[in-house]
Amino acid sequence: MSIQSGSSMPEEGTSELPHFVSKETFDLKSVEKLTPEQEKIYFASQLTLMWWKFKRHRVAVWSGIFLLLLYTSVLFSEFLSPWNYQTRHSKHIYVPPQSVHLFHKGSFVGPFVYDLKRKLNLETMQREYTVNDKKPVKLSFFCSGEKYHWFGLIAADNHLVCAPKGKPFYVLGTDRLGRDMLSRILQGARISLTIGLIGISVSFVLGIVIGGAAGYYGGWVDMIVQRVIEVLQSIPTIPLWLTLSAIMPPSWSPILIYFGITVILGLLDWTGLARAVRSKLLSLREEDYVLAARLIGAKPSRIIGRHLVPGFMSHLIASATITIPTMILGETALSFLGLGLREPITSWGVLLNEAQSINVVAVFPWLMLPVVPVIFVIIAFNFLGDGLRDAADPYK
Amino acid sequence: MTSNMKTIFSSAAALLMLATTAFAGAPDEPRQLDFDNLEKEIGKRGGSLKMLMAKPKDVRWMTVYSGARLVAYDETFQLMPDLLKSVDNDSNKSFTLHLRKGHKWSDGQPFTTEDFRYWWEDVAQNEALSKGGPPRELLAAGKLPKVEIIDSHTIRYSWDTVNPLFLTALAGARPMYIYMPSHFLKQYHEKYADAGKLAALVESEKVQNWASLHKRFGRQYRPENPAMPTLQAWMNTTKLPSERIVFKRNPNYHRVDSEGTQLPYLDEVILNMASSSIIAAKAGTGESDLQARYVRFDNYAFLKKGAEDGGYKVLLWPSGRGSEMTLLPNLNTKDEGFRNAFQDVRVRRALSMGMDRGEINEAIFFGLGREASNSVLPSSPLFKDEYADAWIEYDVDQANELLDEAGFDKRNDDGVRLMPDGRPFEIIVETAGEQSQETDILQLITDHWKDIGVKLFVKPSQRDILRGRVSNGETVMSTWQGLNRGLATPEMNPEELAPVSPVQGQWPSWGNYLASKGAAGEKPTLPEVARLSELYQQWRGAADYDEQSRIWHEMLSIFTDQVYSIGIVSGGLQPIVVSNKLRNVPEEGIWSFEPTLYFGQYLPDTFWLEE
Repeated sequence: MSIQSGSSMPEEGTSELPHFVSKETFDLKSVEKLTPEQEKIYFASQLTLMWWKFKRHRVAVWSGIFLLLLYTSVLFSEFLSPWNYQTRHSKHIYVPPQSVHLFHKGSFVGPFVYDLKRKLNLETMQREYTVNDKKPVKLSFFCSGEKYHWFGLIAADNHLVCAPKGKPFYVLGTDRLGRDMLSRILQGARISLTIGLIGISVSFVLGIVIGGAAGYYGGWVDMIVQRVIEVLQSIPTIPLWLTLSAIMPPSWSPILIYFGITVILGLLDWTGLARAVRSKLLSLREEDYVLAARLIGAKPSRIIGRHLVPGFMSHLIASATITIPTMILGETALSFLGLGLREPITSWGVLLNEAQSINVVAVFPWLMLPVVPVIFVIIAFNFLGDGLRDAADPYK
Repeated sequence: MTSNMKTIFSSAAALLMLATTAFAGAPDEPRQLDFDNLEKEIGKRGGSLKMLMAKPKDVRWMTVYSGARLVAYDETFQLMPDLLKSVDNDSNKSFTLHLRKGHKWSDGQPFTTEDFRYWWEDVAQNEALSKGGPPRELLAAGKLPKVEIIDSHTIRYSWDTVNPLFLTALAGARPMYIYMPSHFLKQYHEKYADAGKLAALVESEKVQNWASLHKRFGRQYRPENPAMPTLQAWMNTTKLPSERIVFKRNPNYHRVDSEGTQLPYLDEVILNMASSSIIAAKAGTGESDLQARYVRFDNYAFLKKGAEDGGYKVLLWPSGRGSEMTLLPNLNTKDEGFRNAFQDVRVRRALSMGMDRGEINEAIFFGLGREASNSVLPSSPLFKDEYADAWIEYDVDQANELLDEAGFDKRNDDGVRLMPDGRPFEIIVETAGEQSQETDILQLITDHWKDIGVKLFVKPSQRDILRGRVSNGETVMSTWQGLNRGLATPEMNPEELAPVSPVQGQWPSWGNYLASKGAAGEKPTLPEVARLSELYQQWRGAADYDEQSRIWHEMLSIFTDQVYSIGIVSGGLQPIVVSNKLRNVPEEGIWSFEPTLYFGQYLPDTFWLEE
């Protein structure tokens, strides 16, 4: 650091320097005064800035709320479902969706459904259900219904809404074994929505570690990683999924298979992320603050984890949000092809797999309803990801 | 290039047609069908019938549907001559077959005893063409028949002991062929063909030797080779594989209607290929004039919906299978724990009693099936309630008791029973994976078996792979359809009840022992199975109907009481899509491979299209 020369400096060779202290109060912001609004912006943390920016993307906010609600429902799917998702009502096979009424013969009864009368039509070989509008079946709320184990652990029998035992109450109809579609879709959400999260964490960890190593070290590490990624990306995914899911032994419990599938999806998905991390690191590692950290003696893992990755974490999160729907679709596709999850695990893909026949399209169209939540979730995630990406770089 | 090829082919075909029409016509002594008795109406010749199939291999169904056999079953399941003019049966020991005068192959060459001789001397007893020697059905007490050619239209097969199997084998859905078009196949036979030409053919067809050539071009059951002459009602004119396989009328067919018009009425039968999963959808839009294959009961509601617009009606024929689906515990599996378990009759009975057939019937079969073991159907003369009802009652308590007794009395934390060797009793059921119905039923059984502490896993694979795994003893349990001969009469072969073949899922190794005449596989160790094997041999030597009947009953009684295959529901219904224009298709029938040859029994050669 060199001292700047100025007029206040005494001439060389003259007397001792006088001690000078300015009497004025030192004002750091003397150069430029900030208005309170400006202060708010300039002193806001990065997260706050992102939040502000994100809030301005209305669709993204609503998508976020929608997803938040869905993910919360995943915690309570047993409670929200009117029936146990695996209970078969043999007397109520292929019941079309029922409507919920409030008024019976002009008088208010509260939410109720009408009882159904079943007739076997031997001409068309169909079960025909006619509404018996003399008998309203009143629904009760926060009631005790079928017993279940919450998350397979805690025994309970509380339901949000239930009909009396043996009476029909199927808002979204029933399937070929008489299982309630609404309960199955709710239960399927638990699997289908979480599979994306678990898969994305696997691919996130792999992507950051492998991509980080490749970008930071460069050289032969980078070379090998790049070639591996190229090989992995060049393998067509469906046959690869097929092989990987075929090697999972059939005696594995459905839960293990579920984890197996998520890990498979994660194991195949890290490549894109690793590339992004690598290219970011390649440019960031040349920055002075990295050199400084290295000179102080920080280990590579600390430099990557503490100094480099946070530099573009927001970007990573945004890209992850966009990848989650890919995972959900991946699970759905695998299960639809009969390669992924299997009964008795119920996911949206499993439900759709059961709906892939001409009978369903022509005669029992309500079995295709699981398509609806799939579409909405994918769209919501895409909007959310869009909003997040815009917000990710608030200084722009 | 291709269009050139096409013109060459079509002109060749045209030439062939010309050549054949020169000799065309029914035999001098045709088989005249009694239309009044058969409740058929006289039809008009012409028209082409469209059907949908999934694989090139499905051309074999044409041989089954067409149904021309040396001898065939009539409406009452009695054997009568069909391609043959008559048969003299001397107490099942000697059979004199009389051919029809003037009977010709589809290419116009005469059908004579030379064709029988050729097969017997140059094919059946040729090492290269028939590795294991002549078919089992030709052996009586282990001995080959004496074959005498009396004249060009008479031939006699005789044995010292009785051979009741001979005629039934000739009438089979997949019949035993004891004749071949010698004039055509000699060009591929080492003994007759010019060695140089044959070598060149072997070279150009890229096969190993002349025998492969002979086999490839000489298939009769699966009419893949358009050049190969046939005796069936229609002959294949398309080289496989093809998306559209055209069968043309055989101009020399041996049946005529009651007015003397030569059959078949239909000029052409066209098989259009489609993926098996969309065949029902296509049939529902009227793309098929006659469809039963690849259409299932659960398609019925859909088919019925489209019937009016599609211009068809949907018939429901009861299935002739002993059971719509069975579980086969593999008594010869390589896994020692499961082998011991399944060889214990208490375990098999418990598994059978642990399933709620009532629910399966209600949910899957619309409540129209019959909850029964894998046995013969009520319309069979061999039917007894005790066979059908053996060990099918849903009784969880008794099933649990039986399993406890059998040494499966310990359970793990999940409530699954432990096998005597300490492993949990988790059964992996392998399926051919073709029908969602199978998986649905297994899903229900999985739930039912939870109550008896047995865990079930479903492993879908493919039919051919499953067959291989079964033969190798790699499966623990598999699913298969029930007895093909659910409508058995005592004269029909009871082989499905005894270990006779390595593809039998419950005893592949024991079956292999008999099939290989003791060279491979193992001798049955269970006394009941050994008894079945012995009874089967006895049936082969049974002198008369009563004797055969007695043996059938004993076999059925052992088979159902020992629960070697766990039948679920019998009497399923097969929807049959029939175009409104197609006449002479009976409203009621039985859908079975044997003895009705699917449509074969109902004489598709009499079906005709009304304009």
